[in-house]
Amino acid sequence: MLFAAEMYGVQLDHLAAVLGVGEARARAIAAKWRARGHAETARLGPGAPWTWLTRAGLTACGLPYAAAPPALGRLAHIRAVVAVRLALESAPSYAAGGGYWRSERRLRTRLGGRIGLREHIPDGEVHWPDDAPVPWAGECWAIEAELTPKTAGRTTAIMRELLTRTGDYGAPAAEARAPGPPRHVRVIYLCTPAARPTVARARKALGEAGTRIEIRHLPPGAAMPAPVKATR
Amino acid sequence: MIRRAALRVLRIAVAAALVVAAAPVSLVAAVGTGLAWFGGWPPARLYRAALCCLPMLAVWLAATAVATRSAAQVAAAPYLAWLATWHRAAAGDWAGAAAVIAPAAIPAGLAVGGLAWAYRIRSLRTGSGGLGPDSAVAFDRRQWRHQARSARARIAAPGAVPLTVRGGGVVVGAVIRAVGHPHRQIASIPYARMRSHQVVVGSTGTGKTTLLLRLWAGFMATALRRHADGQGRAPLLVVLDCKGGADARKIADRARRVLRLAGARSTAIWPDEAALSLWALPPGQLTTTLVDLIEHGTGGAAYYADVLEAVVELAVAAPGGPPASTADFLARLDPGWLATAYSSGGHDAELGLLRSAARQAGDIALRYRTLFRRLGDGLDGRGGFGDADAWYCILEGTAEVGVAEAQARALVDLLASFAVREGGREILLAVDEFSAVSRRLPVWALYERARSLRLAVQVSAQSWAGLAADENERYRIASSADGGIWLLRTPHPEPVAALAGRSPSTDTTRRLVGIPVWSHRGSSRLRPAPVADPELIRGLDVGQAAYLYRGGVTYVQVKRLVAAPAALPAPVSPRPAAGTAAAAAARTAAAAAPLAARTAAEVPSGPDRPWPGLPDVSALLDEAFGAEPAP
Repeated sequence: MLFAAEMYGVQLDHLAAVLGVGEARARAIAAKWRARGHAETARLGPGAPWTWLTRAGLTACGLPYAAAPPALGRLAHIRAVVAVRLALESAPSYAAGGGYWRSERRLRTRLGGRIGLREHIPDGEVHWPDDAPVPWAGECWAIEAELTPKTAGRTTAIMRELLTRTGDYGAPAAEARAPGPPRHVRVIYLCTPAARPTVARARKALGEAGTRIEIRHLPPGAAMPAPVKATR
Repeated sequence: MIRRAALRVLRIAVAAALVVAAAPVSLVAAVGTGLAWFGGWPPARLYRAALCCLPMLAVWLAATAVATRSAAQVAAAPYLAWLATWHRAAAGDWAGAAAVIAPAAIPAGLAVGGLAWAYRIRSLRTGSGGLGPDSAVAFDRRQWRHQARSARARIAAPGAVPLTVRGGGVVVGAVIRAVGHPHRQIASIPYARMRSHQVVVGSTGTGKTTLLLRLWAGFMATALRRHADGQGRAPLLVVLDCKGGADARKIADRARRVLRLAGARSTAIWPDEAALSLWALPPGQLTTTLVDLIEHGTGGAAYYADVLEAVVELAVAAPGGPPASTADFLARLDPGWLATAYSSGGHDAELGLLRSAARQAGDIALRYRTLFRRLGDGLDGRGGFGDADAWYCILEGTAEVGVAEAQARALVDLLASFAVREGGREILLAVDEFSAVSRRLPVWALYERARSLRLAVQVSAQSWAGLAADENERYRIASSADGGIWLLRTPHPEPVAALAGRSPSTDTTRRLVGIPVWSHRGSSRLRPAPVADPELIRGLDVGQAAYLYRGGVTYVQVKRLVAAPAALPAPVSPRPAAGTAAAAAARTAAAAAPLAARTAAEVPSGPDRPWPGLPDVSALLDEAFGAEPAP
């Protein structure tokens, strides 16, 4: 339930992956949550049905988010980010390093309506504990899932913003860009084949700072299934 | 006639003899005067140079006294040196001759040069000198060119023009010419004037933005230093750019970088990146502001204005507190909502008022719904002016005048409320392109209570006419600018230039006998002449400004502030595996060393690692997202 709450909502196949069970079992679990009033399920778009938490579910999890179904316009993006998180958390080095995923929903809630409302928020942050037995211990990464290509200029601006930010989200505006080490040591871009060339060009435009940006393809299962065409 | 001509020849011959006899002094005076002419210096600069040479003269006389132990010898030293110079020169020892006479000749020559230069300036200024009838005008134009060239050279020298000077002065650039003000090399204004109202007038493309950025950065740097020293409160700069558009965004970015260099930690760009809360205003002020946001007429429309105010007052002062957001306020503009809110008893008067105004409530809600849709969500956030050191507010005054006027009104009310309630900041409110919002932003009203609010107002416009809607208001704004008026090139500078006042000037007439011979007959009279010459201001170049203050004017070549693009901070040091003393030592060393200086041993990297400096995360990413295909 925490996973579903942090990611706005999950599709059934991803829910099954999170729970480590088959889709039938995941469906039963989702139905149980729904029966208790903790979750809602519905087929919001192509593919498996979505599950998201109701106000009661969020309260049960102790999360201060506003209860709402995943926005229809963001379903593909949410699915991609969920897939990225699942892929990352399934890596042995992630578990060994004790990485912690801080979701966009959490960051956005911390930000509230204060100034900086229009600043770019990454799709997630990965925090590594200081004493983790990995070389990148203590680092904070920004995660970005790119499904469709933006303009290179806009992508460069987002990269620059992420790389120069020093303060936490929701901190006083004065700390967002204060002198000091950057908040995000590196930015991980997970792209579709269509978006990758633009992201690569934007990274190149940053020069030396672009060395802190890693670009990879989105993992399998990130794409939304194509809608089934009606047959006569 | 013949006698007069003979006397003139004799006078010239005597002067020439004196010049030749005192050749070393004459030479230095000629060089000094030539330099002053070439650089457009005032005579005072030559006098100061002469004073600076006096220690050399004193040492020379002291050395003579020690060597001769005779007061008479010391008194005769200049004469003896003069004799020795001629002897050495006659012997062909020119260097020796110069060395012997230099301690006496240089200060004397500079002083004589200063006197000669002052005489020349004065004679041309009063119209009693020069060969031709237009000599004075040509001399003044030439001197202006020389002075402007010198000023440009001064600001081009690296480090010659700092942002601030000791004592808290804000440096603007190099002085070209000063009239009624002390002539200094560097133009600076005391910080106290930045805390007073100022006016800036200049056409597009004359360097107005450069000047404003310089003033804002100087204000920020000085105020921050004063605050750090415990001499003042923290500064807050609020800029209302009433022009809007893409240019405003570029200037906002430049302002942010310049202010960052001046020490400002954060600059919020409104409404693009930051939002303020209109609903944070105290209820009484909120009602006034909301009513003023809507344009309403006079005459018959006054009735409608009264109804609108009554309904807004009911919505804002409803039991349970004022509205917290636009949606909340709009929801309240409904007779049903208001009736329910005031139905708790003891609100008979309000309910009576509501019954009278209920028919118009729908129209009022419609107007506010339209207004807030056009205003956007920049006033519906949760931020406040206290959240940043500087706010750059972009108002689309060119594209949507009505919206810009409403936004300006709301922002100024919010700022005044912030100043009253929190009062812990030294505030400079700069309104750029004021003409776009001047119709509905009575800035002079703010002037009058600004002192008690610790708020200084800086208004800038492209022309005198753009300063306010009518002539009275223009004069009201300009005459309240006790921090000075900045005047850049503008086609009609007369009204502003006249505010510098007039000073007595000598006007001489003389009879031209035949060029270049003038009769000695003529007359002089005193007449008041404008301190700030409108013709000069009309012809100012880009980056030149006239600063009018207390009956004087200083012409300034403004030094442009250049700020690099936002620098990307260096990434944090790589962290080796924790838990060992060696690891801790390596971490400390890595943190201290610059990225480029780190050795390969410190950085765990693969054989084909493309980016040295950060730990390689390829293994993790390969595990999670699959290996990258070979290029």
